[in-house]
Amino acid sequence: MKNRLRVLRAERDWSQAELAERLGVSRQTVNAIETEKYDPSLPLAFAIARLFELRIEDVFQPESVSTRAQP
Amino acid sequence: MNASTLSDREPGAKRESLASYILVPLLFVAAYFGARGGIENVTPRSAAALWLALLPVPFFALLIYGYVRAVRGMDELARRIQLEGLAFAFPIALLIVFTAGLLDLAGFHGKHDWDLPRLWPLMLLPYWGGIALAQRRYA
Repeated sequence: MKNRLRVLRAERDWSQAELAERLGVSRQTVNAIETEKYDPSLPLAFAIARLFELRIEDVFQPESVSTRAQP
Repeated sequence: MNASTLSDREPGAKRESLASYILVPLLFVAAYFGARGGIENVTPRSAAALWLALLPVPFFALLIYGYVRAVRGMDELARRIQLEGLAFAFPIALLIVFTAGLLDLAGFHGKHDWDLPRLWPLMLLPYWGGIALAQRRYA
């Protein structure tokens, strides 16, 4: 799943550690989400969207069907 | 949660961490080696031998309790890393046990080479390996 977390965080000039603290997760979790190695749970995704005052689909976008079909 | 609540809870949390990560493992190791030493000095299949053999069990149960509590306190990615580490480690631990059993049956053994008390420390290696692999995947 694609996301705009890094951009949104940079717009607010927050470090990964600062964002992690606001979300109650580790910095490793924020980094893994930003690098798209880890998709957050639904509650965490909602918490992220709420923190940035956006809708969840404004932060996270599912990959297209054609992209998903690739190995 | 206000600051006074946090400060009230911190000493208790520190005591709990000390107990979980230091005291309980030390008690388990002491109970395990105490049992091993004791068993060699009592009559086999006696009540004393049975009690000694079961002595480490409650301490290991406390270890499991502490581990599960620690995992529940982790954030979601750390929990996934633990799960993936265990998913890797558990079958490898089984592999070690049955391979050692087959090697024993095949006659490749010294006096105590493949017995379980000597094997179980080996089973920690796949756990550490699994955690390291999972950490690397999400780094």
